Amino acid sequence: MKTLETKSLAIGYSTGRSTKTLQKELNVTLHSGEVIALMGQNGVGKTTFIKSISKLIPVLDGDAIIGGKSLFSLTSQEVSQKVSLVLTDKPQVGNMSVIELVAIGRHPYSGALGFLKEKDKQVIEWAINKTNINYIANHKIGELSDGQLQKVLIARALTQETDLIILDEPVAHLDLNNKIEVMLLLKEIAQSGKSILISTHDLQISLQIADRLWLFNFNEPMVNGVPEDLIINGAISKTLSLDHHDYDLRHGRLSLQITGIPIKVQGEETITFWMEQALRRSGFAVDTNANILVQCHNNHHFSIAGKDYESIQEVLQALDTLASHHLSTL
Amino acid sequence: MIHQYFEESRRKWLLIIGGLSCTLTIAFVLSLALGSVNIPIGKTLQFFIGSSTGERSWDLILLNFRLPKALTAVAVGSALGISGLQMQTLFRNPLAGPFVLGITSGAGLGVALVIFLGFILGGFLELSGIGRNWLLVLSAGMGSFLVLLIVTLTALKIKENVSLLIVGLMFGTVASAVISVLQFFSQSENIQAYVIWSFGSLGSVAWSELYVMMPIVIIGLISSILISKPLNALLLGEHYAISLGINIKRIRLVIIIITSLLAGTITAFCGPVAFMGIAVPHLSRMLFNTSNHLLLTPVIILFGATLMLIFDLIAQLPGSDLSLPINSVTALFGAPFVIYLLIRKKSLNYS
Repeated sequence: MKTLETKSLAIGYSTGRSTKTLQKELNVTLHSGEVIALMGQNGVGKTTFIKSISKLIPVLDGDAIIGGKSLFSLTSQEVSQKVSLVLTDKPQVGNMSVIELVAIGRHPYSGALGFLKEKDKQVIEWAINKTNINYIANHKIGELSDGQLQKVLIARALTQETDLIILDEPVAHLDLNNKIEVMLLLKEIAQSGKSILISTHDLQISLQIADRLWLFNFNEPMVNGVPEDLIINGAISKTLSLDHHDYDLRHGRLSLQITGIPIKVQGEETITFWMEQALRRSGFAVDTNANILVQCHNNHHFSIAGKDYESIQEVLQALDTLASHHLSTL
Repeated sequence: MIHQYFEESRRKWLLIIGGLSCTLTIAFVLSLALGSVNIPIGKTLQFFIGSSTGERSWDLILLNFRLPKALTAVAVGSALGISGLQMQTLFRNPLAGPFVLGITSGAGLGVALVIFLGFILGGFLELSGIGRNWLLVLSAGMGSFLVLLIVTLTALKIKENVSLLIVGLMFGTVASAVISVLQFFSQSENIQAYVIWSFGSLGSVAWSELYVMMPIVIIGLISSILISKPLNALLLGEHYAISLGINIKRIRLVIIIITSLLAGTITAFCGPVAFMGIAVPHLSRMLFNTSNHLLLTPVIILFGATLMLIFDLIAQLPGSDLSLPINSVTALFGAPFVIYLLIRKKSLNYS
């Protein structure tokens, strides 16, 4: 089922008399069950796109079809039953409880005063269970960590019972653990039949959970495709301007330009991986033909030329000493 | 789990509303009984049931002075508290109050024009008490209505709330400047008359004026309960509110009209009563630990009314013939209360 379809959509904003178009001729489709990551540099129009298709701001040209109906023919009340948002605006409601905040998601369905019916309470309970926030349900919003707050906001979006959920930078301020948790949660929600659109700068995570990427570029048409295709054809590097920085897309890290002394690393796989990373960062080159050999043993133990070391830190110190000798002999 | 939560919060709500209603009743009876002449509480209650205390002078005091004054205090406390709450929610700014839109300044300008120009044309000070009162009420009312009109038109034009806030502030500044010019060119009696108006007063509202003031205030308060749901959505910010299906332009207009009506009416009849508008919402949020407008609105109506009655009692200096201007009492006793609560709660992260 198509939850969103844009037809020659142009987005942007107008300040006074002049209109600034950020993206035009956007023709994309979003189906239920899909996770889409919207990527692009700051100022390219990601947030404007999100606001435009959820009717927060007017579109400049073209049309967006939401749940089979044109955005123009939908009232904001109807849109609120088809699209829910998780925005970067931090709600300033310190002493509202988590349940109260989640319950606000029922506004499109409740009566004039917002009293909750049995069905509303069931949906709230379902959303709280789904996002695993039962343990903080009675807490006040002001007491939550960033990661907890993000899950509460997602629960709020879920209670709106929309087929399309849009999240603007949902993992921007989260630590790795919370990032993974939120992203897995979104993937799970998508699998239950909803469409998820995320705007993000986090390449690693979008590569892992997004079914497709939408890449917004400055003054160029947007690119739409499966992440791996876009890596191979260079579209991602171009959109994010990574080609200047030797970004290693396979490992999601910077490959520093190495001209240092070559070192050979051998041993158990995981430890070898981290040893190599430490060496590269410290300015050594990792080379299988090198003369200096670092042996990595299973019990977090290393040896160079028969000498034992207890940690990577000790190895680096030893290599530094070696390197200064090496330089003085040159 | 959810059901338990809602059951508990319902019970808490009933308890708070019930408790506040009781406190309000007690404060109301006390404010009738105490004053320059203390009437025994038994007799005061008797006045309500049998409509006579048995002593004619007490009957007269209760009917003509204390009852209208107590009703005025109730209206002032609740109306200003509610308009303050709505402004703080609309502008998402804890410093906002009922007067940020320039309503007091408008009312003040109206009053200043009537007092200062009226004197030049002759006759303002010669007017009898009642006629003078109505003239002040009308001029203040016209002043606030004019500001309401300007702010509403601006609100239709301007998209951002903060800009609206600044427009209100600018308007207030202009009005104060005009008042200063008027004061500069006028005589000391007039300046005194204006200064006394600006102290605020609950005692000058007679029954005939109450018949006008009360219905407006009651309509304003009921409407404010009816918009609790969009106000709650606004707490999350404008974007969330729109995405929840709320017509932001319409609700903003409704809020501005309710606030102006409430604050404008109160200012017209009682002068610019300070402090209540900003402080009552904060006190209520801190004491009852909620941001939910469906709970907060009735709480502020009851709590604001109770607080105003208590402040008025203090201003009376019961047992003495003296009384203090109400504005100094609200600030003198209210501000330390707010500071105490802030220090105890250790943060402002409650609104």
